[in-house]
Amino acid sequence: MAGTGKVHMRGDEALVTVEDLVMEFPTGRRAVVHAVSGVSFDILEGETLGLVGESGCGKSTTGRAMMQLPPPTSGSVRFDGVEMTDLSKEELRRTRTRMQMIFQDPISSLNPRRKVKDIVAEGLSIWHNDAGDTAAQKVNEVLDAVGLDPEVVSDRRPHQFSGGQCQRICIARALVLDPKVIICDEPVSALDVSVQAQILNLLEDMKARYGLTLVFIAHDLAVVKNVSDRVVVMYLGKVCEVAGPDALYAHPAHPYTDVLLASIPEPDPDHPVSDRQIAGELPSPINPPSGCRFRTRCEKAQDRCSTEEPELREIAPDHYAACHFPNEVPVTVGG
Amino acid sequence: MASERPLLEVENLRTYFDTPRGILKAVDGVSFTLDKGETIGIVGESGSGKSVLVRSIMNILTSNAIVPDGAKVCFDGKDTRNLSRSEAKHFWGTQMAMIFQDPMTSLNPVKKVGVQITESIRYHLGASKQEAMDRALELMVQVGIPEPRKRLREYPHQLSGGMRQRVTIAIALACNPKLLIADEPTTALDVTVQKQILDLLASLQEELGMAMILITHDLGVVAGRAQRIGVMYAGKMVETAETTTLFHHMNHPYTEALFKSIPRVEHQSHTRLDAISGRPPDMVRELVGCRFAPRCRYAQQRCVTDEPELFDTGQVGHRQACFYPVGSPESAQALAANQDAGVTAAGLDLAAAAVS
Repeated sequence: MAGTGKVHMRGDEALVTVEDLVMEFPTGRRAVVHAVSGVSFDILEGETLGLVGESGCGKSTTGRAMMQLPPPTSGSVRFDGVEMTDLSKEELRRTRTRMQMIFQDPISSLNPRRKVKDIVAEGLSIWHNDAGDTAAQKVNEVLDAVGLDPEVVSDRRPHQFSGGQCQRICIARALVLDPKVIICDEPVSALDVSVQAQILNLLEDMKARYGLTLVFIAHDLAVVKNVSDRVVVMYLGKVCEVAGPDALYAHPAHPYTDVLLASIPEPDPDHPVSDRQIAGELPSPINPPSGCRFRTRCEKAQDRCSTEEPELREIAPDHYAACHFPNEVPVTVGG
Repeated sequence: MASERPLLEVENLRTYFDTPRGILKAVDGVSFTLDKGETIGIVGESGSGKSVLVRSIMNILTSNAIVPDGAKVCFDGKDTRNLSRSEAKHFWGTQMAMIFQDPMTSLNPVKKVGVQITESIRYHLGASKQEAMDRALELMVQVGIPEPRKRLREYPHQLSGGMRQRVTIAIALACNPKLLIADEPTTALDVTVQKQILDLLASLQEELGMAMILITHDLGVVAGRAQRIGVMYAGKMVETAETTTLFHHMNHPYTEALFKSIPRVEHQSHTRLDAISGRPPDMVRELVGCRFAPRCRYAQQRCVTDEPELFDTGQVGHRQACFYPVGSPESAQALAANQDAGVTAAGLDLAAAAVS
C-alpha cells in the first residue's frame, strides 16, 4: 500500500493541493504515532473528493490538517494559491472562514445551551457581520436551505432535535460564512440509513446551490461513492488508490479496495455474503510495517512488499494505485 | 419445525413509559415467534421501538416502564415476565444474553477483560477461578481474539472497537445461552469490522445452535444473515416474512422506503437517493390511522382514519399491515391519484418530498 508519489496530481488548476502531508504525534517514551505519512492529493473547484478508509487510517487527521487543526508536522497545504502552513495566526483565522467543517456526531458538536439561531449566527458575529437584519436574514436563508423552518427552529435548543436535524443545523452553521470548501468528517456515520439518505441528498443540493467544493470523509465506500467525483482510498496513513468512483467500483486495483468493497453489506438475500474478509487487525501506527503498510493483511503479499514501498502509479487513465501487484484494470476508451 | 414448540413466543407485547410529557407507547402490540437456532432480524429507524422490544423480552426495563396486561412472552415454556428477581439473575446469561451497540459503554472500563468474562462463569456455573479462566481463554479463541492470554490481562481501552465487541460477544456466550440478542452490534463499527463481527456471529451461531435476534436499522445487514425479518415502525410490526420473500415481495411502503434509502455501490455515483421524508411520529400523542401515513407516498383517506392490522398476504409466513400493498393494483392507483393531486391524503407534498 501505500505509497507516496504524486503522479495523480493535476497541477495548477486545483483549488486545494495537499502535498507530502505528514502528521506525527509524540506519545512519550520517544514513541511517535505516524498518523499520516506522506499523503498527496488535490481537489478541483466544485469537485467532491471522497477520503475513505478504516478507523485509524488517518483520514480525519488529514481533513483536520488541511484546516491546520493542528498544523501538519511537514508538508504543504495550498488553498486558492495560498500556502496555509506559512500563514500567521491572524491570516489563518481569516482564511479559515472560507473552509468549514462538519463532524460525525451532530449532537455533541452543537452547544446544548444555545439557541439554534445563535449557533448558526456565531460565525457572523465573530466577523462582526451580525449587525441588524442582514445577519438574521442570512441565518434564515441558510436554515431554510437545509430544510428547516426558521420560524419554528430559531429559538429551540439542540436537544429538541433528532440526529438528522442536528446535522442539518451543523450544515447551516458551516454555510453561513459562504465558504468555498467544506470538509465533512463522517457526516452520516452516526445516522440511520433513512436519515443518511436525506443528509447525502442535502449535501449534493447545497454543493449545487452554493458552488461548494467538498471533502467527504467516511469508512463506507458505498456512501463515498454516491457523493464523490474522485475517491482517495487510505490505509494506515498512506494512499492506496485514487480513481473516479465508478472506475474504482468497477475495477478496484488495490487489494485493500477489494476488501473494502467486499465488506459492504448487500441488501439482497440472493447475493451470497462474500467470503472475503479483511484478515487481522490494523497494525500499530507507532511501528508501521516496512515497505507496503498493507502487506501484513494482504492476500497477495510477496517478499518485495516488505522491502520496497510501492509508489502510486497510473494503471489506467486517471486511475492510480500504489501496489506492486495490482489487479488488472482493463483500459476502456472513455470509460 | 411446526411440530416443535418455538423457543420464544411473543404475543401482543406492549411497553409504555410514564414520562413527564405523558404515556409514551414505545412498543404497541407486537407478536412474533422464534424457533431454536433461527435468526430473526428486526429492522426499523431510531425510535421505532426495536430496542425496547428486546429489553421487554429480557425483562430489563427501567422503573418507569409499564407493561399492560394481555401480553405474553414465553421463552422455552416459561413466561419471562413472571420471573422473580433471583430467578431472573440466573436466567440472564444462561438462557438469554445480549450484546449492545457500543462496546465501550457496555464494558466496565476499570476491570480487566479476563475478570469481566469470568464473572458470569463463576456466578452462574459456580466454576473455580482457574476453571473460569480456562473457559475464558477458550472463549477468547472462539471469538477470534489474537494473543488471548495477553488480552485477558488488558483493560477495554487497550483494545480496538472490533476487539471490544468480540469481548462482549465472549461475555454473552460464556454460559451457553439459548438465545442471543444483538442490539445494533455493528452500528458503531467500520464496514470492514462490521463484516468480521457479522461473520463471527453467524459461525458461532451455527456452531452453538443458538437462536438470535439481530436488531439493525440497515436492511443490508440482515439480508444475508437472518432467516426471517420483522420491520418495525412506531412501535408496531408492519411487515414480517422470510428474508427472501420480504426482499422479493416487499408489501409495506415503509419496507420499500427503507430499502430504497440504502446507497448502493453498484449505482452510478451521484445517483439521487430516495430518502424517506419527515420523521417518525411522536409516540406520546394518540395516533390515529396508519402510523406511516404522514410519510407515505401511497396514503389515501382510509389510511388517515383507519389503522391497518397485520394480515396474511397469502405467501407462507408473510404478514403485512397496509391497505395498499406495494405492487398491487390498488397501490398503483393510489400513487397515481396522489401524483395527480400533488399531495397525499395525509398532506405529504410529493414534489417537496422528492427534493428533501
